[in-house]
Amino acid sequence: MTSPGGIRQDKTGARALPDDLDRDLTAVGLDQDATAFRRLFANLAPRLKFFLIKGGMIESAAEDVMQETMMKVWRKAEMYDSSKASASTWIYSIARNVKIDRLRKEHRPEPDPEDPCFVAEDPETGEQAVSRKQDRERIQKAMALLPPEQMTIIKMSFFEERSHGEIAEMLEIPLGTVKSRIRLAFGKIRAELEDL
Amino acid sequence: MSIRHHIGDDTLMAYVNGTLVEPLSVVVATHLAICPRCRKSAALMEDLAGLLLMEAETAPLSPAEEAMADIIPSSASPDAGNDDQPLIKPDYSNTGVPMPLAERMPATLDDIPWRTLIPGISHYPLPKSGSQKNKGTLRLLKIAPGKTMPEHSHTGQELTLILRGSYIDDLGRFQTGDIADLDSETLHQPVADTAEDCICLIATDAPLKFSGFFSRLLQPVFGI
Repeated sequence: MTSPGGIRQDKTGARALPDDLDRDLTAVGLDQDATAFRRLFANLAPRLKFFLIKGGMIESAAEDVMQETMMKVWRKAEMYDSSKASASTWIYSIARNVKIDRLRKEHRPEPDPEDPCFVAEDPETGEQAVSRKQDRERIQKAMALLPPEQMTIIKMSFFEERSHGEIAEMLEIPLGTVKSRIRLAFGKIRAELEDL
Repeated sequence: MSIRHHIGDDTLMAYVNGTLVEPLSVVVATHLAICPRCRKSAALMEDLAGLLLMEAETAPLSPAEEAMADIIPSSASPDAGNDDQPLIKPDYSNTGVPMPLAERMPATLDDIPWRTLIPGISHYPLPKSGSQKNKGTLRLLKIAPGKTMPEHSHTGQELTLILRGSYIDDLGRFQTGDIADLDSETLHQPVADTAEDCICLIATDAPLKFSGFFSRLLQPVFGI
């Protein structure tokens, strides 16, 4: 890809640093920075497309979802808050919602913080003290410690978006085992994160 | 409200990646509205998905797709995403239940036009949306004090959120805000254990299986 910003699509799939992505998305939100958007696009659009195709979408549908997602990224970037989520997490959640809207013609039910019934986190617990950056590194570290059989299932769930029943069939293990491996994996990640 | 029974990580993960059927997602989202701890878990899972996305391989883009990087900034103006939501949000605050459920409620919990299933147990099926209308069920269930739901298990998954009152079954005591996340291996027989009606929101992704002979006669009545 050639663009006025001189950004070339990286055929080798080299990764941008996560902090750079966060900064670019913030710049798009604050200043409608088109160069920052092109960088985000060059880095994440091909990965998003890969993610969607791996998830079982035919190529043309994956292209549609990718394009609609990147359009929303541009238009909604103002709502992005780098203290709450990394750019890739934020973009992942937009892509997921676009996909649910398109495939199932439904809106994903989500809690609304402005709802009078919403129960906010108790600020006393101090659970939000660590920065996103530290969190990211610690989640990565915790993930690296997971046994392969747990990591396989997590990856199949997120990457290939298979239901737990489908995963059980593919791996020829009982559904209960799939569920318990997921519970064990997150128990372990959570324990690592809390273990300061 | 102190919540003691939370969403299972496997169920929460299916909600986060968008594979959970809509009725179950409504129950999950309603619990998330009142449970900071489960919201934190959901955020952790989204972080993980973001990491996996960032580390994903790349798929080649067509020239038309590559051009989008230039076309989008020059043609679309930022709008903070109002296209997704109605400009005026309807006011559901008077239903007294959290948002994802409130928008599906016909009336407040006190004014639901309950339909009696068997004496002491009544229900109200809630509308579903989207193209997967045949997938699963969503309903409110009211159990009168001391009454027992016929013993049953599930062919699929059942998620129950206690909206008011409490019940006891083999798995423990479930009070307002608690969620019971049951799969096909669980057999249970909830009984409302206070002087108050127990009102629950129940979603399934497949019909219930009643275990006793008389209970089986109820299958067509419940139809759940």
